[in-house]
Amino acid sequence: MLRFHGPARPFCDGLSRRDFLTVGALTFGSTQLSLADVLRREGQPSHKSVINIFLAGGPPHQDMWDLKTEAPSEIRGEFRPIRTNVPGIEICEVFPKLAKIMDKAVVIRSVVGCKDRHESHQCLSGWFPDDLRTVGGRPSLGSAVAKIQGPVDPAVPPYVGLADDTTHRPWSHPGAPGFLGAAYAPFRPDGTGLDNMRLQGISLDRLRDRRQLLGSIDRLNRQLDVTGQMEGMDAFGQRAFDVLTSSRLLDALDLSKEDPDVLARYGDGKPYQYQYDGAPTCNDHLLIARRLIEAGVRVVSLSYGRWDSHGANFDLVRDHGSKLDQCLAALVQDLDERGLLQSTTVAVWGEFGRTPKINPQAGRDHWPQVNSAVLFGGGMRTGQVIGATNRLGEYATERPVQMQEIIATLYHNLGIATDRVTLTDPTGRPQFLVDHGPMPEVI
Amino acid sequence: MSWMRTPERPTVNDRRGPAVPDSNVPSGRLAPLPAALVWLGLFVFGSAFFGSALSGSASEPVPASEPIHASGAAQLRLETTEAWRGGLVLVGRDARLQLVISRLWGDDRAEDATGDVTFSVSPADVVAVDVRGVAAPLQAGEATLHVHDPLTGSELMLPMRVDGFDRSQPVNFPGQVVPVFTKLGCNGGGCHGKAAGQNGFRLSLMGFEPHEDFEHLVMESRGRRLFPAAPDQSLLLTKSIGTVPHGGGQRMEADSHEYRLLRRWIEQGMPYGSASDPVVVGLEVIPPLRTLPAGSRQQLQVVAHYSDGSLEDVTGTAQYESNDPEMAEVSVGGLVELRQLAGQVAIMTRFQGQVALFHAAIPAGPPAPPEVEPQTLVDEAVFAQLERLGIPLSKPTDDTAFLRRVSLDLMGRLPTTREYEAFIADAAGDKRQRWIDHCLEQPEYADYFGLKWSTILRNRRNNEAFQYGSFAFRQWIRDALWANLPYDDFVRQIVAASGSIETHPPVAWYRQVTDIHQQLEDTAQLFLGQRIQCARCHHHPFEKWGEDDYYGLAAYFSLVSRKPGGLAEEPVVFTRAGEPSAANPKTGRKLSPTPLGQPGQWEGDPIRDPRHQLVDWMADADNPFFAPSLVNRYWKHFFGRGLVDPEDDMRATNPASNPELLAALSESFIASGFDLKQLCRTICNSYTYQASSQAVEGNLEDQRNHARFYPKRLEAEVLLDALDAVTLSPSQFAGMPSGTRAVQLPDTGFENYFLTVFGRPDASTACECERASESNLAQSLHLLNSTQVQQKLADPAGRAALAAAGAPESDATQIQTLYRLALSREPDEEELQTALDYLGESRDRQAAYEDLVWAVINSKEFLFNH
Repeated sequence: MLRFHGPARPFCDGLSRRDFLTVGALTFGSTQLSLADVLRREGQPSHKSVINIFLAGGPPHQDMWDLKTEAPSEIRGEFRPIRTNVPGIEICEVFPKLAKIMDKAVVIRSVVGCKDRHESHQCLSGWFPDDLRTVGGRPSLGSAVAKIQGPVDPAVPPYVGLADDTTHRPWSHPGAPGFLGAAYAPFRPDGTGLDNMRLQGISLDRLRDRRQLLGSIDRLNRQLDVTGQMEGMDAFGQRAFDVLTSSRLLDALDLSKEDPDVLARYGDGKPYQYQYDGAPTCNDHLLIARRLIEAGVRVVSLSYGRWDSHGANFDLVRDHGSKLDQCLAALVQDLDERGLLQSTTVAVWGEFGRTPKINPQAGRDHWPQVNSAVLFGGGMRTGQVIGATNRLGEYATERPVQMQEIIATLYHNLGIATDRVTLTDPTGRPQFLVDHGPMPEVI
Repeated sequence: MSWMRTPERPTVNDRRGPAVPDSNVPSGRLAPLPAALVWLGLFVFGSAFFGSALSGSASEPVPASEPIHASGAAQLRLETTEAWRGGLVLVGRDARLQLVISRLWGDDRAEDATGDVTFSVSPADVVAVDVRGVAAPLQAGEATLHVHDPLTGSELMLPMRVDGFDRSQPVNFPGQVVPVFTKLGCNGGGCHGKAAGQNGFRLSLMGFEPHEDFEHLVMESRGRRLFPAAPDQSLLLTKSIGTVPHGGGQRMEADSHEYRLLRRWIEQGMPYGSASDPVVVGLEVIPPLRTLPAGSRQQLQVVAHYSDGSLEDVTGTAQYESNDPEMAEVSVGGLVELRQLAGQVAIMTRFQGQVALFHAAIPAGPPAPPEVEPQTLVDEAVFAQLERLGIPLSKPTDDTAFLRRVSLDLMGRLPTTREYEAFIADAAGDKRQRWIDHCLEQPEYADYFGLKWSTILRNRRNNEAFQYGSFAFRQWIRDALWANLPYDDFVRQIVAASGSIETHPPVAWYRQVTDIHQQLEDTAQLFLGQRIQCARCHHHPFEKWGEDDYYGLAAYFSLVSRKPGGLAEEPVVFTRAGEPSAANPKTGRKLSPTPLGQPGQWEGDPIRDPRHQLVDWMADADNPFFAPSLVNRYWKHFFGRGLVDPEDDMRATNPASNPELLAALSESFIASGFDLKQLCRTICNSYTYQASSQAVEGNLEDQRNHARFYPKRLEAEVLLDALDAVTLSPSQFAGMPSGTRAVQLPDTGFENYFLTVFGRPDASTACECERASESNLAQSLHLLNSTQVQQKLADPAGRAALAAAGAPESDATQIQTLYRLALSREPDEEELQTALDYLGESRDRQAAYEDLVWAVINSKEFLFNH
């Protein structure tokens, strides 16, 4: 870790980006650091994080991560597998860029226990929406993390949901706080919460005047309260003024502040709506996710595309798949160059798999029996495939992996011990986060 | 050979009986012998102990073992269960005994000296005592324990004897093995205790089902987990000590007491024990209560009482938990370490489903009785406690702060300027009392308490079709509170609701609690303060409730039926004819309606709705749950924290911060005929409620004993209404007539960012904990800088515009009004000058007023009820 001396700064990592670049540039000559090295050191966060990319609608496992070349043509489909940089691992030809970084990935081909419902809840929490419904439901991973670990920086929410609302709401819901209550819901960058971070109708000078006035009026002895409520309110008030004068969160959401070369790597960032009722494919979301992680967010959830390919399955995979290939490969590479890949787990999965048999509309229907998922980074033992399905991709033949095992692995990578940590529900019962432990193969 | 006990004399039993009867112990099962005979065994130790031991009485702790030799002002005393005070017997090689030694000063003060004294045994090869005071046998024989206190030079000598050291006695599975799993956490909910087990090995949660555990351990995968031929190779042991990889890590040491016990059990071929073996029927913690200085320590001894009358020291195997870790912490070996806070703290000890409590009172100083007269029964109990704990009482609050406090607490709104002026002008001595009565007669009282009840009665709008019912139910609650319907009747109308929402709005409750589990669980949590959910599937870990209690309560609701009503989401609820019963799914046993804690024959009226009979039992003056649960809930409303906290989790192991107060309030509530308004009066007229929130020297740190009033942040709805009142810019709620206040909203189906961010509950559970009172950044940002607040400030018909329109000469009056309205007080000279200066320096009068109002509503004095 590089250390530079200077005035004390309120940020956890001690230095702002600008300071670092300034200082870094001066020291290039003597220490032979490349730009990537500097970026890597600078980005090293004090926290672990998760980017949970939900492929809503149920992506076809056999056309992406688990190609069935030996199956008959009515099952096999149109795609050919390609080799990857890990000998023995092959994936679909629409992912040439991802094929070059499979050493950083864990492909799970035997995900089981999926519910046949278009809902993000299971991929975001590991549970069905009906679990503990009478006390508010199970919290999603991000909400649980927000409760257990709190924010890294009080001005940056620990859990951000980038998924836009879709016509069918549960399809791309950004994650429910469940019984933890609204305070632990994901922060959504389109709502009042974000507006409140920009000055609303008054100038900065006027805000300063007001603050001064408040200072002379707000004289209630906070010694009255030893529960910490008043002190907490003061501390947050303080923080709120900081946010209004300069916000790391707003900066993170502002892609005009990103290096154009990096921006280009993620490809066309605009949102493309594939069908009216689903999330668009929006490559920018992955870049924003990285920026949020750097700013101190612990968990980012996002919904990428609409994969419910009852018709024209192969066209859909070509469209969504090639876009995903571009931005996901860019994200993983970007995280790696910044030294963030060890501390960041990227999960890419949908709610279920798709029928082996291709239907007359060249589509595939719902197939909750088995599904695939891909994880990157997070300090895991990557470059491996876990589990397998039978010749036709119908069911898991090796190492069935419960969805909760994947969620537990994400918790593990965040530093949360799922066998010990509990959350207390409103009836006073301690609830474990998930019932399964992390996958021993990867941790 | 069946598992037997040796209860014929006071012993420290290691849970084994003799396998081979010796001459002293007749074979077969023994009934406990009369107490006189029990003491015969002590003759071998000398009559000095005998005499003093007999003089002990059960009601007061008596120094049974008089020191043989004492010097200085202090004496030493062995603290132990009555039967053991004269002398100690360790039976079997696994026996352990925690010695607890007190140092008694001349002035009746007792303190724990266990950690200070030195122990020696002569002859030294009979018993070993370690530095923590744990005695363990080395061989059979008699010995004398010498206790020496280096601080005072006092000494104490005690006889000890080891019996049955070489006898091979069968280990008892439920009595000895299962507690080890519990102590080491093996059967916790995060490990093998969860429903699915862990990695193929399952234990019952907290060991409440030893038969199941035995089956899983011994019968399942036989030969894998246990090797009687080579016990040390058993997976159970190799995993526990970490020589074979174990997901849960190393749980014990290879040379530990636990290891040797498990090893011997395997060696013996894994006996279960017999069905007639004694079971634990009670737990005793010694000492049960102590007054201790802050920062001190107290070693505990925990003794299990068995069904055959025998006793066992289980200090090392019991589990401990402090009810307030800020005040006291407790080690796995039962050593309590107090921190610096004064007050009362309880340590819960658990063993084999039994619980016992150690209470410590930690005075802040010498006893100091408050120098004011108690106003209501509340004060009597609070003052007595403050006196005991030596915590000084704050001064009474002034009229203005009282007016704001009680108006917010009873009506959920700020006093108007007119009310303020009238109250200040009133010179009568009883004006506070009259104001309390006045508040209770206002519709706002019913609005505000209606909101409270509506939330925990889950009155929410699941979809639009719920609206009629949710509005009707809220109206019903409001009317009932305003009319001051006796609480038992209020509960009856809800719990035993029948018919349609149209004819009887409380039927709407059954629309939310649709299944029998929710019905009984909500009833228990809301009206009895009992969280019984755990007992649906397993014995409650900290309570006496088991599945039979749960399903016995469920049976009351077993005949509740519903059919579609005239409109969607408006079912008709009725009780069908039949035999009320519910089956315990584990045993298959059908249970008749059974009141909590009163198992027995169902003697109900066959033709009366069982739910009415449930309420009959609940509302009985002798019911131990009903009144305490309500008064505790109301206490929390006024003081921010229940006497028992959380307010709906009332159990022996979660004691009240002031048990006498809880009892006195409950009693008066019952005597009043469950009069809710009267309860509010009793609380609000007390000195305790009217004490200032300003600390006096010595009571700032008090958070439990009500030496002063603890400030609390305004609730979301109250805060929004207060903001509206101060800015003169009322909020609008979709579909509601203008002028509707947030407190009056009939259900939670009104989107409002302000309410959400300040923690409005969703009304989806019966728990008040849904209402969040934590601060967060989003709240601060919203108050400091949101369009919503800015629009209120800049409202053309609002406070700032109105004030700015006045002549500059009226500024002082305007500022005065702002202070009266927002803070219920006059601005002091400095505040007035600050505000006038700010207005004077500004070019835009309206903007300056907006800024002033903004500053006031962002002050903590506004945001808190104090």
